[in-house]
Amino acid sequence: MLLETIGLTKHFGGLAAVSKVDMSIEQGQIVGLIGPNGAGKTTLINLISGFMQPTSGRILFDGEEVTGKKPHLLARMGIGRTFQITPLFREFTTFKNLVASFYLSADRSLWGSILNTPRYRKKEANILKEVEENMELVGLSKVRDELAKNLPHGYQKVLDLAEALAISPKLLLLDEPMGGMSQEETDLALRAIKRVHAKGTTILLVEHNVSIVMGLCQRIIVINYGEKIADGSPEEVRNNKEVVRAYFGGGYAA
Amino acid sequence: MKNKRFKAFSVIGLVVLLLLGPLFLESYYLHLAIMVFIYVIVASSLRTVYISGQLSLGHAAFMAIGAYTSAVLAKTLHWSPWYTVPLGALASTAVAIGIGFPFSRLRAIYFSMASLFFGIMVTSSAGLAPGLTGGFNGLHAIPRLFGFVRMPYYYLFLVSTLLILLILYRVEHSRIGMTFKSVAQSHLAASSRGINEGGMRILASAIGAFFAGIAGGCYAHYVGFIAPAQFGVMTSILLIVYLITGGKGSFTGPIVGTVILYLTPYIMGGFQGYAPFFQAGVLIAVIFLLPEGMISLPGQLMSWLRKPGEGRRAAIDAP
Repeated sequence: MLLETIGLTKHFGGLAAVSKVDMSIEQGQIVGLIGPNGAGKTTLINLISGFMQPTSGRILFDGEEVTGKKPHLLARMGIGRTFQITPLFREFTTFKNLVASFYLSADRSLWGSILNTPRYRKKEANILKEVEENMELVGLSKVRDELAKNLPHGYQKVLDLAEALAISPKLLLLDEPMGGMSQEETDLALRAIKRVHAKGTTILLVEHNVSIVMGLCQRIIVINYGEKIADGSPEEVRNNKEVVRAYFGGGYAA
Repeated sequence: MKNKRFKAFSVIGLVVLLLLGPLFLESYYLHLAIMVFIYVIVASSLRTVYISGQLSLGHAAFMAIGAYTSAVLAKTLHWSPWYTVPLGALASTAVAIGIGFPFSRLRAIYFSMASLFFGIMVTSSAGLAPGLTGGFNGLHAIPRLFGFVRMPYYYLFLVSTLLILLILYRVEHSRIGMTFKSVAQSHLAASSRGINEGGMRILASAIGAFFAGIAGGCYAHYVGFIAPAQFGVMTSILLIVYLITGGKGSFTGPIVGTVILYLTPYIMGGFQGYAPFFQAGVLIAVIFLLPEGMISLPGQLMSWLRKPGEGRRAAIDAP
């Protein structure tokens, strides 16, 4: 089991954004996390990646207790993530964004950088090679020298995804990676996600577009009002009465 | 390629000028050059803090800690300034790390406000312990490095400044510097890539404080007199003015800014009293016409000459 949450709960004042969620993700899976607006999907991602602290409950990653750890430590353990609003380095080009991310993930040595040691220079060369490979993998080579702020929305999101790969994540949390994209951009993102998954990365995908999730994921978790209401294969989820009620209102389920 | 060669030649020319210059200069101008060296170090060390997304309004306080620690040790314990200046810089670094733990949790304007009060606190506390620090009247008769001859100071500070600038340049243009800049641009992206945001802010502050402390120590053992007012809020703000008007986007920005703005009051002769107005005017002109700072002036001039009017508008529209 790569990721396991036990009774994970997050309250904002009186509101339970996430309530007693038990879920587990196995190595190599690509799992969809769906639910209506405000169901608590992003909060769940924020809890797992350490950007929010849970009110109660536990999180286990790779068999280790990681509840309450800071985001950067979780990132170093191999939990990567993207954001709904892409936090790119806006004044850098695509290439430099990736270089920055890969630099950031490599170990830093103050003395190495001041003295410019041969070992330090060799590491730099390796990083540049990795950047080129990853840019190719997600299909961003053609916008290599564009400034991030000038990229179309979809490309920015794919760039965010590519940057998340810098830490060589074991688990990648994707928060609406295809939100607000055109068809062409959606295809680019889908291709990128499939390739990243094919390389062996476990993925938890939050997405509004149910048909995309149905096509992409082997397993789907549905939450509503912070609670898990369904967990299973796309078939099972599609036929689950509670899911239908959550999405289409009570009248349809009857 | 041509550009690179031009750059190399101008650097060599500058170094030769700096090395041979003092042989032909009057002592008064040597003094100005020495002061410029000291403030170039401080302004450049402020840049290291600045690129990590922290606009400090109390950077001169680190100069004060370096200066006071070094001066008090040298005066009361009769240690050689050669040891006390580094000790002062270490004291300054230690304080930066200490306040870094709470301060690094603050972002943007909240950090600036906290640093402002830190600066005020440091200079006030120097004033409150008159037995040791001489109080608000200052500390007199600090042992000097080389007595009253200015030439040795000039060469020592020249070499130190160049060395420190080299170190700061390496820090900024390395993975560490990239980390600082990324924390400033997007703390979300940085921390989800495994960067300890607070830790990197503290590291940047510590590096900045160390070199500000060195500069403070040099100042104390060159001038021979220090008082809290020399390291007050006004000095901190002037440092920011040097940084911004010189060019906040470039390593050479604070250097150029310091050289020009520090020297202006002295070359204005009888109009010295109007220097603040002049500096304010320069600052406003730079913000409107040269958002990239004074270092972008040559390039801007060229573009204005080519397309009158257009370059100017572009500069104003730029974010």
